[in-house]
Amino acid sequence: MRIFIGLITGTLASATPILLAALGGAFTYYAGLFNIAMEGMLLVGAFCAVLGAYFFQSWLAGVLCAVLGATALALLFILFAIVLKTDEFVTGIALNLFAVGATTYLLRQIFDVKGSLSDPRLPAIPAVTIPLLHDVPVLGAVVSGQNLMVYAAGLATVISAYLIFGTRFGLRLRAAGHNAASLETSGVSAARVRVWALLACGVLCGLGGAFLSLGYVRLFAENMSAGRGWISLAAIILVNGNPWGLAVIALLFGFSDGLGLLLQSAQIPSQFTGMVPYLATLLALSVYATRRAKARPA
Amino acid sequence: MPRSFLTALAGILAALLIGAGVMLAQGYNPAATYAALFEFSLGDVDSLATTLKNAIPLILTGLSASVAFASGPVNLGQPGQLLFGALLATLGGLYLPLPAPLLIPSLLALAMLGGALWAGLAALLRRAFDMSEFIVTLMLNSIADLFTFWAITGPLADPDAFSPMTPAIQPAGWLPEWGEFSSALLVLALAAAGIWFVFQRWTAGYEWRLTGQNALFARLGGCNISRNFVAVMLTTGALAGLAGGLVVMAGPHRFLKGLGANYAWDGVMIAVVANNSLPGTLLYGLFFSALQTGALGMELITAVPSEFIQVLQAVIVLVVVASRGRLSEWLDVWAARRRARVKPLAPAPD
Repeated sequence: MRIFIGLITGTLASATPILLAALGGAFTYYAGLFNIAMEGMLLVGAFCAVLGAYFFQSWLAGVLCAVLGATALALLFILFAIVLKTDEFVTGIALNLFAVGATTYLLRQIFDVKGSLSDPRLPAIPAVTIPLLHDVPVLGAVVSGQNLMVYAAGLATVISAYLIFGTRFGLRLRAAGHNAASLETSGVSAARVRVWALLACGVLCGLGGAFLSLGYVRLFAENMSAGRGWISLAAIILVNGNPWGLAVIALLFGFSDGLGLLLQSAQIPSQFTGMVPYLATLLALSVYATRRAKARPA
Repeated sequence: MPRSFLTALAGILAALLIGAGVMLAQGYNPAATYAALFEFSLGDVDSLATTLKNAIPLILTGLSASVAFASGPVNLGQPGQLLFGALLATLGGLYLPLPAPLLIPSLLALAMLGGALWAGLAALLRRAFDMSEFIVTLMLNSIADLFTFWAITGPLADPDAFSPMTPAIQPAGWLPEWGEFSSALLVLALAAAGIWFVFQRWTAGYEWRLTGQNALFARLGGCNISRNFVAVMLTTGALAGLAGGLVVMAGPHRFLKGLGANYAWDGVMIAVVANNSLPGTLLYGLFFSALQTGALGMELITAVPSEFIQVLQAVIVLVVVASRGRLSEWLDVWAARRRARVKPLAPAPD
């Protein structure tokens, strides 16, 4: 039983940053942007979270700084891709490089450490106990007592789905991706809609990054996003950006991650168990591709 | 050519100015820093040799990315292909009982084979399942990273070493040094000439470039798109694999932990900034190598952390790419205005 609960908690913990980044990417996906900068936004978010938490001794300040930092990267994306009309792919690649470089450089400049920073005084994002549910035997241990950001990710899924499918903004967002010219003829600037999509992406990736460095661990390590931004991009491709689909995919990846940790206790080298999420991504992509091939009339 | 050279130069200067601004804001002396940076990378024969040697993996992974991007396939798998090239070359160097004249070419071939196989896996998945090579090569990078780390901590580990690494390969597999310069440079020159010939002068390369510019047109013209896709993936994988082999054979003569980490995204970065042109890749490879090589000397002299170079590289990429489009536009406008001034419209007849 304890293994089961541990597996579920591990699943939620690994799914959260991927889900938040993927939701951010969903906004830009619907807006018709080829945005691959989630990896860098997560990394900058994780760094700024530690920065804010360290100097203000508050996890809330950390989360706010993470959101600001990731949004700053989104603003750079806006400057280059939308204002200066640089190629989106190139902008994304360069911003990811910039994120790695800048966080490594600032880690050295501000904290005078190389590699990673962990400080026991860093405040963590708290876990939330839900009053009545907490005492229900099995359900309580699973539903209650998770990290605040896990609930935030769930809430973000609902809000994103509502914004994208239930509001005028969402309609314009999808129109910007589907047919920008017809959106322009109706008097709405597609560029402006894309700016909002990128800002939303920055905020969500900032939250995801804050969870990486102040959630279950309290440390920042160089390049600690470790491909999660790319996995979130794969998730977006798999479900065409649908927020509910993203939640399912993120949970699947989280589960494979948790399973990997479980396998590690079965004498399998940790390098192989570490491959599980990436292999799961490849498997999911192949299933998706086969399904798409079947759906297409021959 | 002169115009692309001009816009690139303007972009680099602008990026260096931004870098100088950042340094000023932090209280460093930009002039002294840049002077130290280039003195320690180009100042004397010794540092020039180091810069050239460090440029080898940058240029080879850059050529790999440039050829791939210009031909269509988004091969982002250079890091993984480099690691598998290095792994196969190390395996051959440890266990193949051959004399140097045979061993060195075999190891080079093995390195290319390793990279080609890892890229071929992505091509296979594309052919079999129609999976986008963009995500697949990225995932394969992470898997290659973990797999090679397992190999050098497990079956191939050097029991006497304190950190994960393999034992040294046989001295017969070491690339000889010619004075200050590594003979790996000759291999680089041959590889660069070879890929230039294939890409710019051969029928295959013509088809690849055609497909990269307009796949539909190429298909209607009779190119076998899917066969060309596999060929491009294998070729560019082999180039990245060769980079890994050369790093092992010319440098530490063993597979060290974190061998590929330094070159992870450099190839893609160089291809992007060079706009997939092969001569551009060569020049930017040398330029970025000079920045990276001079970084430690710069830190020594002016206390600017060597990590600053990573930021500077990203700024250069962004500014050069952004200014390429904008500047070109302004130059067009300026040229049009000048033409209009030189040859004014004939006055309307009364």
